[in-house]
Amino acid sequence: MIATQTIAIIGAAGNMGSAIAKSLAKGNYNLLLQASHVQKAQGVLNEIKKANPDISAEVINCSFEASWEADIIILAVPYQAEQVVAEKIREVANQKIVISVSNPLNSTYNGLLTNELSAAEELQDLLPNAKVVKAFNTTFKADFEKPFIKDTQVDAFIAGDNKEAVATVKELIETVGFRAVNAGGLSVSRTLERMQLLLIQLSVANNYNWHAGWKVLHN
Amino acid sequence: MYEVYFHNFKKRVALTEEEEALIKSYLSVKKIRKRQFLLQEDDVCKTIAFVEHGMLRSFSVDDAGSEHILQFAAEGWFISDMLSFLTEEPATFNIEAVENSELVLISKSAHEELLKLSPKYETFIRELITNAYIALQKRINANNSQSIEERYEDFIHNYPDITKRVPQHMIASYMGTTPETISRIRKRLTTRK
Repeated sequence: MIATQTIAIIGAAGNMGSAIAKSLAKGNYNLLLQASHVQKAQGVLNEIKKANPDISAEVINCSFEASWEADIIILAVPYQAEQVVAEKIREVANQKIVISVSNPLNSTYNGLLTNELSAAEELQDLLPNAKVVKAFNTTFKADFEKPFIKDTQVDAFIAGDNKEAVATVKELIETVGFRAVNAGGLSVSRTLERMQLLLIQLSVANNYNWHAGWKVLHN
Repeated sequence: MYEVYFHNFKKRVALTEEEEALIKSYLSVKKIRKRQFLLQEDDVCKTIAFVEHGMLRSFSVDDAGSEHILQFAAEGWFISDMLSFLTEEPATFNIEAVENSELVLISKSAHEELLKLSPKYETFIRELITNAYIALQKRINANNSQSIEERYEDFIHNYPDITKRVPQHMIASYMGTTPETISRIRKRLTTRK
């Protein structure tokens, strides 16, 4: 048996944070839901508990405390908020897996706010002793509820430099129900963040109704 | 968060600020709640945990389902399944928090990296492991040569703090006896006084 891991979801009341929290509740994890809107997080927790009565999950309002207790930290806050959160949790994120979920989109969805580095690489610079992994950024909220689109399992990409951390994140992705694709080192997150920019643009242009995803076809 | 760890470290080996910062960058801190597990049997033990605050215990479970406590670790002690940590074989012990605790953890890869980078870290770890070895040797010898009454008296004399903080059935399990026997010994000790 493996000791149950504790996952802190920072920004658990948000669009992506709540979707990730609800999906991970299917696995054997202790979940700490952190959000600045405690009431909203409580609503997410109530939904989780209704669907999974035996789960160990609770709302915690401080990102520092949640990260201190966590084995894995999922940063599900907007790109613009990452720097502030990273500074808060820096000391307790040391050597831990920190998942970068954000896509640094500009307000008109026609470009990125980042320059050369990806949001995940910037996060790694802010948390130099953490094991930053890019994941859950190429999937929409609706994909978490239905990880199959017309019978095809949605792919979810991982990019990270630490092998063990990537393997752990792969397990989380599989718990959610996606097919995990290891895309390479953390610098590949530059591509992954651009892939989501494209998917959002395609979704708007073709009215995919925010239920679309990537699939790598191969032999 | 790291106060007890580095206090203990510096009692054995002096550190410059830079050396402390280097070592710190390889450590992680974790809070664990009472009854949560840090390690479960059959999983590979990937960390050495140093107790900054609180208390943990390591124990095995026999075929009949009885627990046998190998070690308690309170503030300033470390705990791990060393066999599993060093060989990467499945753990034979469970490690559980007896109280809400704060830990300083070092992973196997960070530990190995630091052994290469910092001779002072190596000295510190060697002293910790040497002391643990001596403690184990004393414990085995006591188990083989002393009565349960003598061992209990030694335990409460050497670890008055643990005696107060853990339930009697755990002390009994650590001694390899039943809570009833410990109760009888305690009664005898009070009447003797």
